[in-house]
Amino acid sequence: MSDLGRVLRIDARRTAPFLAVPALALLGGVAAWHALLPGVAYWDDAVAALFASVRVLGPASAALAAWVALREHRLGYLRGLSARSPALGPLLDLTLLGVVSLSAYAVVAAIVVVKTLLHVESGHPQVVGLLAGALTLLDYAVIGYLAGRAVPRLPTVAAAAAVTCLWGIVRPGTWTYLLPPPGVEHIHPFAGLRTELLAGQALWSLGIGGLLVSGYLWVLTRRARLALPLVAAAVLITVTTLWIHAQQRAPLAPRAFEYSCRQWPLTVCVHPALRSALPSLEAALTPLATRLSGTPGGFTRVEHRPDNDFPRPGHGVVYIHLKDLSPGYEHRAEQEIQISLLDARTCANPAHAAGVRYTALVSAWLLDETPPRMPDTAAARAFGRWAESRRRHWLRLHYARYRSCTLRGLDFRLL
Amino acid sequence: MIADFSTIVARDMGIRRGGRWILRPTTFGITSGVVGLAGPPCSGRSALLTTLATLRRPSVGELELLGHDVTGPAGQRAVRPRLGLLPHRFGWAAGVTAREYVAYAAYFKATPKDAVEAILERFELTDAAELEMDMLPADLRLRAGLAATCVHRPDLVFLDEPLGSVTDPERDELIGLLRGLAPAVVVTAPDPAELTGWCDRVFTIARARLIESLEVSRTWSRVPAGV
Repeated sequence: MSDLGRVLRIDARRTAPFLAVPALALLGGVAAWHALLPGVAYWDDAVAALFASVRVLGPASAALAAWVALREHRLGYLRGLSARSPALGPLLDLTLLGVVSLSAYAVVAAIVVVKTLLHVESGHPQVVGLLAGALTLLDYAVIGYLAGRAVPRLPTVAAAAAVTCLWGIVRPGTWTYLLPPPGVEHIHPFAGLRTELLAGQALWSLGIGGLLVSGYLWVLTRRARLALPLVAAAVLITVTTLWIHAQQRAPLAPRAFEYSCRQWPLTVCVHPALRSALPSLEAALTPLATRLSGTPGGFTRVEHRPDNDFPRPGHGVVYIHLKDLSPGYEHRAEQEIQISLLDARTCANPAHAAGVRYTALVSAWLLDETPPRMPDTAAARAFGRWAESRRRHWLRLHYARYRSCTLRGLDFRLL
Repeated sequence: MIADFSTIVARDMGIRRGGRWILRPTTFGITSGVVGLAGPPCSGRSALLTTLATLRRPSVGELELLGHDVTGPAGQRAVRPRLGLLPHRFGWAAGVTAREYVAYAAYFKATPKDAVEAILERFELTDAAELEMDMLPADLRLRAGLAATCVHRPDLVFLDEPLGSVTDPERDELIGLLRGLAPAVVVTAPDPAELTGWCDRVFTIARARLIESLEVSRTWSRVPAGV
């Protein structure tokens, strides 16, 4: 083993920073797990989850780095009065802290990747997103370390954590949420992170880290040759900041995909990231489709659409908008279809308040929900007594009134 | 008095911290031998020592060490490899042996590996070299600290209250060792009486002023420092 390797090993044993890896990995892992869309396995969302973990891991790494800097400050008598470069000690510390932070990040990344792989994967793994997260995390460690060196006092540890945590939560301008770690909570299916934006964020983090490290080395050594990396880092930060600022209007890009479908008895098509939901959606939506068959609202095809895309239902096609597969998603899809059947304009008319109650009674049947309490108990009782086939027949006759919320009590007595 | 061959030369050097003087501007010179610096805790004794060891810059005035102006980075770079400093509570962690500690210091002082074994033997630490630092008794831990400080054979050594934690029988033995660490040794203690009798010169720091004590017994002074 080389002398430098031996010294690094002694430093690792002496400061014991690797003891922090499990705690950091746990923090980051919990943050990433919470950030992943429930039930959805989408690589772009996996990158967003990694950024979410960096927003938690980063301040923790900064606090650890500040604490290490605080401790190592006391070793100035050995490392400062040195025949070697005064930058050697801080560089050794930063190397160890970088390894510690990246080890924890690697565990978190492994958790996210395994979870995405275990579910049905969709999209493309964004390696540059993984890199952007790692570089951002290293920046946090550098900032914490430099803070600890600049002000070697115990409150610096808490201050480093608080300030870096604040950067992850609050940004000064509307576009600055795109700066690393970007403030994206979730990437829903149909949209994707733009690879070039991730690359810009990675370069921005690289520039910040380069500027901080070379600036600090210049303070320690006053070497003129450090001007080159300093200027290069400053230029990189300026260019990438301006470029990221210009991207604020379209941080996400639509992502091409092919529907995953289940063809029988209904055709249900969803984004492939949600394909594990197909059997349960099929089972939940088939009774609704059966009850609506023979009416103008009948459908034989269900299509999953992006959040901002609301085509007019018709020709036997209805649309659902599912963000994730959190519990109850099947029922939410049923409700969405049922609501899409109604004429919002006439149902919102206060003159049709009674008709709205009758429509709610029918909707409860369509959705297999408990019927609502209503003043016209005779109608409710009558509708409740009818057999399934009679109700379907009745709906075919009264669909237009159901859709426009203009049903009357009389409609339940005459058949 | 400042001799032409002074090891430490301070001209109107003053140290301020938190808006108050720790050492008012003062001029002094130290040639060689063992120089004592006494002062009660919080008197600025340690701050003066770290300033002389170039880890802190004087607030005003000039400071020359071993012929180099150390108020600038060039002078500091030139002088630091020739200095040794052992703080009062020298920080070290559990799990590191005395040999590793000295080897660690030797790496930063760019000293060959065989110097580690030589200094461990010189300081009678060979048998205790594999013991962890926090397992060592106070006198052996101090010896390990001194070995790390002097592994590169410095010309000027600063020791902050080295004898504070050792008992009297060990003290006399260690005093002999301290006198031989380097051609010039600056050592501190809270009480001037602890330095009188074995230091060649004793200064006292009181109310931010450095005063030289003229009552110095020459018992130890007959033995030249650095031997």
